[in-house]
Amino acid sequence: MIWIGDVLVSQGEGGVYSERMLGNARVWDPFRSKLAALYYEGTGVEITSDTRVLYLGAANGTTVSHVADYADVVYAVEFAPRPMQDLLEVARRRKNIVPIMADATRPEQYAPLVESVDLVYQDVAQPDQAMIAIRNSAFLKPDGKIILMLKTRSVDVRKEPGAIFKETVEALVSAGFVVQESLWLLPYHQDHAAIVCTKPGVR
Amino acid sequence: MRSYWFGDVEDGLCTPAGGDVLAKAERVRSITSMDTFVPPDWELAVACGACRDRADYIQKLREICFAAAERDIKVQYSGKDAELLQMVRTLDEMDTVINLLTERAVEWYQIRHPTFTRKYRRTPAHILVKNIREKSRGALSFVAGEIERLSATRTELAKAVSGRANDVMPNTSALIGGLVAARLMSHAGGLSDLSRMPASAIQVLGARTALFAHLRTRSPSPKHGIIFQHRRVHNAPRECRGKVARVLAGKLAIAARIDHYRGVADPVFLESAQARIDLMGSVTGKGTEKVTGKGNES
Repeated sequence: MIWIGDVLVSQGEGGVYSERMLGNARVWDPFRSKLAALYYEGTGVEITSDTRVLYLGAANGTTVSHVADYADVVYAVEFAPRPMQDLLEVARRRKNIVPIMADATRPEQYAPLVESVDLVYQDVAQPDQAMIAIRNSAFLKPDGKIILMLKTRSVDVRKEPGAIFKETVEALVSAGFVVQESLWLLPYHQDHAAIVCTKPGVR
Repeated sequence: MRSYWFGDVEDGLCTPAGGDVLAKAERVRSITSMDTFVPPDWELAVACGACRDRADYIQKLREICFAAAERDIKVQYSGKDAELLQMVRTLDEMDTVINLLTERAVEWYQIRHPTFTRKYRRTPAHILVKNIREKSRGALSFVAGEIERLSATRTELAKAVSGRANDVMPNTSALIGGLVAARLMSHAGGLSDLSRMPASAIQVLGARTALFAHLRTRSPSPKHGIIFQHRRVHNAPRECRGKVARVLAGKLAIAARIDHYRGVADPVFLESAQARIDLMGSVTGKGTEKVTGKGNES
C-alpha cells in the first residue's frame, strides 16, 4: 500500500468521483471507503500488481477504482442496475476491471467468468454475509484471503452489532477459515466491522 | 464437462463457444451448475483458441461482461414500473418541497404584515399562497407565484401517476386507487418486489419507524402504513382499523401478484376482493356507514 506521509493513496487516473489528488496520486478517503478505513485502523491485505481480486458489492465503483489501481485484475460484482451504470463507466476507463452484473448470493451466476483469485473482498448489504463469503471462497486460491466488511445493520437491526460480529466470526471459523484480524471501523464507519481471514490448504 | 465463458472443456478437449458477443453472454447465463467447480484459467482459454494471451483473455471477457450488463440494465429499466417509480417519488418529493416553501412564505409574509395570523381561519394553503402573491411585491410575490406553478405541476403529475398506475398495476389500483398503489410499489422498490411481499409486510409498508421501534422496544406494532390512505382504513373506528388493514393488505398482496405475473385486470378477483373488503367495512360498523355503497374509488 502506498502512503504519502500518513495519507493513503493509489496511483491511477484521477477524477473518478472528484477525489482529492496529491500530485499524481489519488487520495483514498477512509470516511468514504471501508477498505481504506481498514488500512488506517488495522493491517488489511497487501494488494500488488499480481493480485487478482473478486470484489462483491462493487456499487458505484468508487472503492473498486482504488483497488484496480493496485491490483492485476478486479472482478467487480454488482446486482442493482443504478450503481451498475456508474460501475460500467469506471470499468470503461480502467481496463483491469471486469464488471459483472450478478447476485453475490448466487456465485453460480458468474462461475464461468471468474478465474481463481488471491483476494475476495466482500461489502454487501445482505443478511447472511458469512454464508456469502463461504460460498464465494470457491474462487479462492489455496491460502487466498477474504476481507469481509460486516454491515451489522443489514444482518438484523434487532440484534446488538457486537453479537452479530461474534456470530459471523464463529460461522467463518466453523467453516474452516482462520481469522487473521477482526476490528470495528470506528471512527470512520458506524456499526461496520472488518474481518480478514484465510482458508488454508483448500484443494 | 466443465463450461466456461470461452467454451466447454471435457477430458482436456475444448469446444470453443461460437457466435457474437451477445450470443456468448446468453450462453454464460445458461450455465448454472457449480458442482465440482474449478475456476476458469486463461491458459486453458489460449489452448482453446479463444484468445492470444492473458491481456487478450481479460479484454475478450470484458467485452462479454459489458454486453451482458448493458443488456440486463436495459431489461430491468424496460419494465413498465421503472418509470412509474420515479414519477411517484418525484410527486412525493414535490409535496415536501411545496409544503416547506409555503410555510416559509407565510412566515415571511407575517413579518411584512405584523397583524396577520392563521388562527381561527380555515384558509386552504393554496388560497393563502394566492393571497400572498397578490398582496405582496417583489421577491415574496415571485416566490408565491413559483409555489403556485409548482402546485399546478404537481396536480398534473398526480394525474399522470394515477393513469400510469392504472395501466401498470390494474388490480392493485382498482382496489386502493392509482396513487396509493403507486406509493406502495415505490416503497417496496418495484412491482416485482411488491409482488413477492407477504401481506403482513404490505400492511405496514411506509410505517418503517414505527415497525422498527416495535421490533427494538416494547412499543405496539403498527397496524397500517400507506394503506391508511384508503378510506376503508381511515374511516374505520380506531379499534377496527387493524382488522380492516389486514384484510385489505391480504387482497392487495394477491392483486400485486396478478399485476406482476399476468398484467391485466381480473374482474372476478376484483369483485370478490371488493366484496370482502366492503363486508369488513360494514361489519366494523358506524365509522364506515357514510361511505358504504359508494362503489369503487377511482
